[in-house]
Amino acid sequence: MDDFEKYIVENKDVFDEHKADRSKMWNNIESSLDKDPKTIRLWRSPLLKLAASILILIGTYTTINLFITATFNHNSKNNIVHQELRDIDTYYKDLVSFQIQLVKNNPKLQPEDKEEFLSFMDELDEEYNTLKLEMAKNLNNEFILEAIVNNYKKRIELIENLLKQINDSKKSNDNESYIL
Amino acid sequence: METNILYTHKDLVEKSKSGNRNSQYQLYELYVDAMYNISMRMLGIKEDAEDVVQESFIEAFKNIKSFRYESTFGSWLKRIVINKSINHLKLKKIPITPLDQHEYHISEEVNDPVVSNDINKIKDGIKILPNGYRQIISLYLIEGYDHIEIAEILGITTSTSKSQYHRAKKKLIEIVNTL
Repeated sequence: MDDFEKYIVENKDVFDEHKADRSKMWNNIESSLDKDPKTIRLWRSPLLKLAASILILIGTYTTINLFITATFNHNSKNNIVHQELRDIDTYYKDLVSFQIQLVKNNPKLQPEDKEEFLSFMDELDEEYNTLKLEMAKNLNNEFILEAIVNNYKKRIELIENLLKQINDSKKSNDNESYIL
Repeated sequence: METNILYTHKDLVEKSKSGNRNSQYQLYELYVDAMYNISMRMLGIKEDAEDVVQESFIEAFKNIKSFRYESTFGSWLKRIVINKSINHLKLKKIPITPLDQHEYHISEEVNDPVVSNDINKIKDGIKILPNGYRQIISLYLIEGYDHIEIAEILGITTSTSKSQYHRAKKKLIEIVNTL
């Protein structure tokens, strides 16, 4: 740095010759600062905005996905239970109707016996229908399920007893003939 | 008392960070004249300089939270004013550095003896320097930036800054001698 430069540097205060219009400029500054209320802008960077959008998308997708899967699982569970119940139901129904048919067709039975048996069956049928209605209201009730099963068992037992009677009478008849 | 010069006006700066308008005003009072003079030297027009200084203070107070005492508050603010002034010149399409052959200029010592050591004459001489010359003389001698910093501010190379400065100085001496 030569003398000329040094001289300028040493006297640089002289160059601060202007006076700012302080109050006018401050008013402008203050009004501009007031115009922007202090807001915390979290998403100033476009990268953050992008990241936030992606997060929201992932979040929404996951929620929907979870919801759908849960409903599906629930439905499929229910479906399995329903299917099982229906299978049991049809099995017993078939069995009962087959045996009733057997009884009806049996020529050896007295009409009174037949009637008595059928009225019993009707009673059990009625009971079964009420139980079924009850079950539709409350599937998970163990007692109702048990009652339904018992209803079927009773019918089968009834039929078996009847058939046994028939067979017994047959045997005794055979024996008689044999004795004779 | 803070011994480190970087922490000058730390109290005011900290309060300004939390939005204290009174502290902001005190900082403004302390620095407004210096900043206004810097901008005047860069731009030469009162209204332009006022606009730039206002914008600079607004930006400084809005971003004061990012000020981490890596420099003094004054030099941080000064850099904002200088950058805004340069941008202002660019917007007005005023060439910051004249393009006349400066890439090929070999820096040479100025041999012309300075006739007068009158600082007021030099001041007047600087005022009538062409735009680009005036800015580089101001940045180097008055604002106290070195050529690396000037190169960064003006977006030129260090060697261009150096050669440009020597041409400006030569021109200034010529002007001063004729005054």
